[in-house]
Amino acid sequence: MLNSRRVARASVLVIVLAALAVCAPAGASSGSLSSDVWFLQDGRPTAAARSAPGIPGIVRALLAGPNRKERAQGLRTAIPTGTAIRDLRISRQVVTVDLAARFTSGRDATSLQARVGQLVRTLRDVPGVRGVRVRIEGGVPIGLFPGYDLRRIVREAVPEETASGLRDVQELLAALGFMAPTGVTGQPGDETSVAVLAFQKWSGLARTGVLDAQVTSALDRATRPVPMLDRPGKRVEILLGRQVALEIVDNRVERVFHISSGAAGRTPSGAFHVYRKERMSWSVPFSTWMPWASYFTGGIALHAYPSVPAYPASHGCVRMMARDAPLMYAFATYGTPVDVVREYA
Amino acid sequence: MSRLAAALVVLAALALPAAGLADDTTPPVAPGAPSLVVGLGLDDPALQAGVLRGREVILARGFEVELARILARRLGGRVERFVHVSSPGRLLASGAADWQLAFAGIPGSSRTVGADLSTPYLTTDVVVVVRRGLDRPRGLADLRSAVLCAVRGDGAEAAAALHAKRAPSLLPSADRLLTAVRTGACDAALVPADEAGRFVAGHKRVLGPVVGRIRHGKGLVVAVARGGGLAAADVDRQLARLRHDGTLGRLARTWLGLDPAALPVLR
Repeated sequence: MLNSRRVARASVLVIVLAALAVCAPAGASSGSLSSDVWFLQDGRPTAAARSAPGIPGIVRALLAGPNRKERAQGLRTAIPTGTAIRDLRISRQVVTVDLAARFTSGRDATSLQARVGQLVRTLRDVPGVRGVRVRIEGGVPIGLFPGYDLRRIVREAVPEETASGLRDVQELLAALGFMAPTGVTGQPGDETSVAVLAFQKWSGLARTGVLDAQVTSALDRATRPVPMLDRPGKRVEILLGRQVALEIVDNRVERVFHISSGAAGRTPSGAFHVYRKERMSWSVPFSTWMPWASYFTGGIALHAYPSVPAYPASHGCVRMMARDAPLMYAFATYGTPVDVVREYA
Repeated sequence: MSRLAAALVVLAALALPAAGLADDTTPPVAPGAPSLVVGLGLDDPALQAGVLRGREVILARGFEVELARILARRLGGRVERFVHVSSPGRLLASGAADWQLAFAGIPGSSRTVGADLSTPYLTTDVVVVVRRGLDRPRGLADLRSAVLCAVRGDGAEAAAALHAKRAPSLLPSADRLLTAVRTGACDAALVPADEAGRFVAGHKRVLGPVVGRIRHGKGLVVAVARGGGLAAADVDRQLARLRHDGTLGRLARTWLGLDPAALPVLR
């Protein structure tokens, strides 16, 4: 059974490769081909399986749009109904598809971009196809489809249509001040989770540190955080409700840090300033080390601590992540104002 | 009878939007009216786009394409076809143009040999879009201490350099510029007038207002081929009418997303 499937798959691949090997008109690849065609669901590219006679059949299946069952599931197409193929040729693993003028109808930029994306994704999913050349009424479309330069062979659909990658999210978090630019790596990790947590706290979302759809949706609408108070110069704001610390220069928030302040309201609110700094401070009452400590009132300091939960948990100090505390230590020099704000009732 | 009246009302209502979009002050084209060949540069998708087949441009659309059609009708003719002209410099140096009118992003300051230039139909000023939360600048003085940003090489960088106390941030793309303004890395984006509508489209929630424009350049003009049967003075007269009756503004809002000429000039 397994062998017969392998043979069937291999024969399909051989047919497709044979068709791709030479310059051939549309009818040349007449073997049955199983591949995905790409539609849209809530504006995002979504694949649907099809079997059709060769690449032209797959393109015709794409142009036909989602079937009734798929439409009921929410699949849509940006390709205008009734768009016809004028010609389709394959040469050197590049498919040149010439479509009727109807493919250009409408003025909605999102739709115009999406329909080319559907076509490119569908053809690129066919084994062996390396690129797509789009022609309209035998000519070269210029400027009609946003995001695509169709004077050239298209190798990939434009990334704007796909969900944001991790690197994009990290870049946005860094640009908004929730993480350091050095944290933009494209790889998941603790630094990203902490930045997401800080963003969730600032935005009033569930404090999970998990990059989920709610976070990406909120990031799409996010603007740079603004200080609670209007004061010139360099200063720190600690927001007890949101559980974040802000580094501020001339009322511009430079960084937002995830913190954990005193449990049961043990961190006093008010206007203070940094009066004592110790790179390795020893807490006598609690017999623990507090690295990168910047004291701003009595024995209460911003400092690094191994445990920084998403809620107020300390004896009154402001706990920070080991990665963040040295940055705050460097920023909060002697005399730097520290405003502790209890912003929620 | 009442059904007939209702049907007439419905038909009239259906006809109204179409009439609103049409250039309704333009006289119908008379039989035997001159047919114009219009040159297009195909450089900016909002201004002109189409399908290039040989030298002919089919399925043409965009601000300048619509303007060409309306202008041709106002001049008593119609556009017979659009042809592609590859570069404005060559276009203007050519003494033997195979077009009567050309729209190709031609600056008003261009030197010409084979064509005359009209008055500007679209400003090349630079539009200022500020970040959210920034006090609305009333003039250029308010922008001097702001962090100004522009896309490298799009023309707005020159204006940014002129009006910023510190060197403007030059970014590689409009997407980066948008991110910089929404995240507060930039206080204001300086965007070419014809791109400002697309820049703010869909992002009004994360951007501050479009506060005005800074004078820059001499605008875009139409090239009128010498010996092509049209006079630049006639084109100017019709452009003035189109400006006065709001047609140019309507075209700009339709194709560019906003009418830059309607924005206040920051001084």
